[in-house]
Amino acid sequence: MAEGQRKGHMDLTILLQTVLAGVLVGGLYGLIGMGMAINFGVLRIINLAQGELLMVGMYVCYWVFTLWGLDPLLSPVVTIPFLFVLGVVIHRFLLTPLIRARALPENQILLTVGVGLVLTNAALLAFTSNYRTITTSYSASLITLGSIAVSLPAVLAFGIAMLVSSALWLFLMKTDLGKCIRATAQDPDAALLMGVNVERISVITFGIGAALEGAAGSLLVLVYYLFPALGGIFTLKAFIVVVLGGLGSTLGALLGGIVLGLAESLGAVFVSTGYKDAIGFIVFVLMLIFRPAGLVGKARM
Amino acid sequence: MKRMGWISMLAIALVCMATSASVAGEVIKVGLPLPLTGIHAKFGEAIRNAYLLGLEEITAAGGVTKGAFKGSKIELLIEDTTSKPEVARSAVEKLITRDKVPMIVGEYSSSNVFAVAAVADKFQIPYLSQTGAADNITQQGWKWVFRVNQPASEYAGGLQDFLLKVVKPKSMAILFENTLFGTSLSKAVQEWTKEVGIEVTNFEPYEAGAIDFKPMLLKVKAKNPDVMFMVSYLMDAMLLMRQSKELDINPKIFAGGAAGFTMPEFIEGARGAAELVYSATLWAPDVKYKGAREFYDKYYKKYGVHPEYHSTEGYAAAYVLKDVLERTKSLKNEDLREALAATDMLTPFGPVKFEAYKKFINQNRLPTLVVQIQKGKLVTVWPKEFAAADYVYPVPKWAERK
Amino acid sequence: MAARGGKGWRWGGAVLGVAVLLGFPIVVSDVYLQHLAIFFLLWVTLGTSWNLLGGYAGQISFGHAAFFGMGAYTSSLLFAKLGFPPWPGMLLGGVAGILLALPMGHICFRLRGPFFALSMLALSEFLRLVTLNWRDLTEGAVGILLPPFFISKLPYYYIALALAAATMLATWFLVDSKVGFYLLAIREDQDAAEALGIDTTWYKLVALMVSAFFSAMAGSYYANYMAYIDPPIVFSIVDISIAMILVAVLGGMGTLWGPVVGALVIVTLSEAFRAYFAAAHLIVYGVLIIVVIVFMPEGIVGSLAARGPRWLRPRVATDAPGASQG
Repeated sequence: MAEGQRKGHMDLTILLQTVLAGVLVGGLYGLIGMGMAINFGVLRIINLAQGELLMVGMYVCYWVFTLWGLDPLLSPVVTIPFLFVLGVVIHRFLLTPLIRARALPENQILLTVGVGLVLTNAALLAFTSNYRTITTSYSASLITLGSIAVSLPAVLAFGIAMLVSSALWLFLMKTDLGKCIRATAQDPDAALLMGVNVERISVITFGIGAALEGAAGSLLVLVYYLFPALGGIFTLKAFIVVVLGGLGSTLGALLGGIVLGLAESLGAVFVSTGYKDAIGFIVFVLMLIFRPAGLVGKARM
Repeated sequence: MKRMGWISMLAIALVCMATSASVAGEVIKVGLPLPLTGIHAKFGEAIRNAYLLGLEEITAAGGVTKGAFKGSKIELLIEDTTSKPEVARSAVEKLITRDKVPMIVGEYSSSNVFAVAAVADKFQIPYLSQTGAADNITQQGWKWVFRVNQPASEYAGGLQDFLLKVVKPKSMAILFENTLFGTSLSKAVQEWTKEVGIEVTNFEPYEAGAIDFKPMLLKVKAKNPDVMFMVSYLMDAMLLMRQSKELDINPKIFAGGAAGFTMPEFIEGARGAAELVYSATLWAPDVKYKGAREFYDKYYKKYGVHPEYHSTEGYAAAYVLKDVLERTKSLKNEDLREALAATDMLTPFGPVKFEAYKKFINQNRLPTLVVQIQKGKLVTVWPKEFAAADYVYPVPKWAERK
Repeated sequence: MAARGGKGWRWGGAVLGVAVLLGFPIVVSDVYLQHLAIFFLLWVTLGTSWNLLGGYAGQISFGHAAFFGMGAYTSSLLFAKLGFPPWPGMLLGGVAGILLALPMGHICFRLRGPFFALSMLALSEFLRLVTLNWRDLTEGAVGILLPPFFISKLPYYYIALALAAATMLATWFLVDSKVGFYLLAIREDQDAAEALGIDTTWYKLVALMVSAFFSAMAGSYYANYMAYIDPPIVFSIVDISIAMILVAVLGGMGTLWGPVVGALVIVTLSEAFRAYFAAAHLIVYGVLIIVVIVFMPEGIVGSLAARGPRWLRPRVATDAPGASQG
C-alpha cells in the first residue's frame, strides 16, 4: 500500500517535471520560431538560414562574454543590434534584388540555403569545429519546489524569452512601424497603395527576424553549447514551430514552440526517446491535415 | 678533383648496388583519406595532426631506417573526404589509380571506412584503418583490410570487468546516441548483461544534439538503477551529466562508453557534474604503455590541444606504417600485405598485432581501460596492471558532495 | 534551307552525344573519372525527377530524400532479408516510392501554398527517424552493408546511364503529352486550370508519382553502387533533398537540359573545390549558389536559352519560368 502510494507520487512528480521541462524548452523553441514566422508573414518565404543566424547570435554572445565578461543575460543588448544589421545586409544586398526581379520563391529559399552554408563554414574557419560552453556564476544553480528541481538558467532563459515576445507583440500592435509590418503581411499590394514603403518594410522585417535569433542565441547559450553546425537542427525546429503556429503568426509561433516542447518531452517519457523528434513531425502532419491554418486560426501576426 | 668526384660517385653507386637492389632515398607515397570538412571535421583534424606529428618524428629520425627501403622518406597524400562515403570512395579510387599509392591508411567514421575498405579490397591494396569502430569492418572477409583499434562491441570490455569485480550491480540503465557506434556498443553491453544476469531497467536511444534530456533521465530516476551507462558524444555527455546532477539521480556509478566522456572539454563543460564519473576508454595519457605520456606532451606542445584516443590511434598507425615499410620486401601489394600481417610491435596506443579471432580477421586485439575523473583529471583506474591510481568507490551521492 | 541545316546538325549532335556517353567508360579507363561520371548520371536522374515535379508542375518539394531513402532501403532490405536480387530490386524500390507518394499527394495537394514543400520535409525526417529506431527491421544506425555486385565499373556506369536516360525520356514524353500542358496550366494558374475542368489534384499526383518512382530508383541504385547505406546518409536534407533542388535550379527549372547542366556543374565543381579550396570549399560552394541565384535566376540553361539557339529553350514554357510569377 505504502509502496503503491510512493509510486503514484513518483509518477506525478515525473509528469510535473516533464511538463515543466517541455514548457521551458518550448519557450526557447517559440522564440526561435518567431524569427522565422515574422519573415514568413511578410516575405512569404521560409528562411532556411534561420538556424545559422541563431548560431551567429550564440557566437556573438560567447565572444562578448569571453572577451569582455558581459553576462549572457545582458548580451541581447549586443546580439540584437548585431543580428539586426546582419539581417538587413542579407536582405538588402541579396534578397531585395531577387524580389525586384520577381524571382520564384524557391530561388529565394535556395538563396537562404547558400547564406546558411556560407555562415556555417565561415564560423568553422574562424572558430574551428570545437564545442564551446559558457559557465557563469549561476550556471549550476537550481530552484527546488518540493520534489521538483529546475535549473535557474533554464527558468531565466524562459522568462526573458517571454519578455522579448511580449515586447515584439507590443511593437507590432502599438507602433506605426509595427502596423506597417502587419499591413504588409496582410496584403502587400494594398499596403503599397496606402503609401507603405513595402520594400523598406520587408528589409526591416528581415532584420527583426534575425534580431530575434540574436536574442534567442543569447538565451540558448545558457542551457546549451555552441558549435558551427548547430544551425540545421534549429532551422528544422523553427520550421515545425512556424507550421504549428499557423504560417506567419508570431503569437502562434510562441504557442507552437510550447506545444512542440511539450510533445517532445511527453513523447520521450511515454513513448520513446528515439522517437521523440518523430512525434514532433507527426503533430506537424496532423496539423497540416486538420488545421492547416495553425493553432490560432486565421489571424496573422 | 674532377676525377675524385667521379670515383667517389662510382664507389657510392657500387655500395648501393651491393647492399640491396633498393631505391634508397626514394619517397614512398601513402594515401591518407580523412574527413577534414563536414560533420566529422573535428576528428579528421585531430587524426591528421597525429599522423603528421608521427611522420615528422619519423622523417627527423631518417625515415625508413631498415630493410629494402632504408633511407626512404614517407609522404602522406591527404585527401579530404568531406565526411561523405561517396567522396571517400572517389578519393581512394583517385589515390589508388592516379597516385598509384601502394597502401592506404586513415578515415574516421565507420560508414566512410566501409567505402574505403571495399575499394581497397577490390583493388587488392592494403588498408590500415585506425579509428572506424563498426564490428563488421573486420568481419567481411576483407583480406586487405587491417584495423588497429578495437571493434565497437569490445570498447566496454574493461568496464564490464570492473563492474563485475567491484560494483557488482543488479540493474543498469543504458542510454545511447542513435548512431552506428552508440547502437553497436549498447547492443554488445545489453547482450553481456543477459549473460551475467544484470537487469536492464532502461534501454533508450536518443537523437544526438537535444537541448533537454530531462524527460529521459526522469524515467531512469524512477527505476533507480545501480549503474547508469551512457554512450554519447561530447555535448550530449555534458548535458546528460549536468542534468543528472540537477535531477539528483544517484546510481552507484555513472559510466560512459568512451567517446565524449574521455574528452577534456567534457570535464570543463559538465561544470562539476563530471567528477567521479567512470568511462570506458581505449587509451589515456597516464596508461602504462611506453611512450604514451611522451606522445601526450608532444601533441599538446605542438597543437595546444589535449589529445585523446582518436589522435593516439593515428600516431600509432603512423609508426605501424613505418614498421611495415621497414619489413616489406617490395612495394608490391602481396609483400606489403604480408609485412602488415606479420606486424608485432609496441606503440603508445598499446601493442599492435593482427589476429583472427571470433568472427574477426586482421584485427588488433587489445584490452580496453577504465578511467575515472578525479579532481578534474582523467585517471586510469582499471585494469590493475595499467592503472595509474586507485578508483574512488563507492561514489557519494550528489547531496553528500561538497 | 538554314532550318534544315540546323536540323541536320541537331541529329548529328544527338548521335555524337549518344556515342560519347556509350563509349566514355571504354575510352576512359580511369576509375576515378568513371566514378565521377556515375555520380554525374545519378544527379541527372535526381535533378530531372525533382524538376518534373518542381519545375514543370510547380510543386516544390523540400524532402525528396524521402523517396531516395525509401528506394535505397527497400531494395537493400529485400536483398539482405530475403536474398531478392538487387537490380530487379531497384524496380521494386521505385514502386515503393510510388506507394509513399500516393498518400502524401492525396493529403497535401488539396492544400495550396507551401504545405506540400513542408510536408515533404517532415516526411523525410520522419522516415529517417523510423529507420533509425526500427532496429529489428533496418539495423538502425548500424546501417546495411551489401556485397559489391560487380568488380568493374562498366555495368554500374551503363545502369546509371540507362536510369538517367529513362528519367529524361519519361520527362520528355510526359511534358510533350497533354499531361504536360495540364501541368503547365496548373503551375501558371491553378484556379484557371480548375475552371477549365482539369482535375488538378490528379495531374499533380501523376507528376509526383513519376518523380518519386525515379528518385526511389536512384536511391536503390546508390545503395547497390555504394554497397552501404545508413539513415543519415540516404535521408539527408542537405546532401540529398537540397542538393536535388540545387541541381535543378542551377541548371534551369522547367527545362529538359537544365538538370543535366546542373549536375555537371555540381559534380565537377564540388570535386574541384574539394581539392583546391580545402577547408573553405563549402564557403565557395555557398557563394556559388548565391551568385547563380542573384545573377542567373532562371538557371544556366534558362538564362542561355533567352539568347541561345531555339532547341535550348524550355520545351513547354513560352516565357521564362520566372516571368510568370506574381
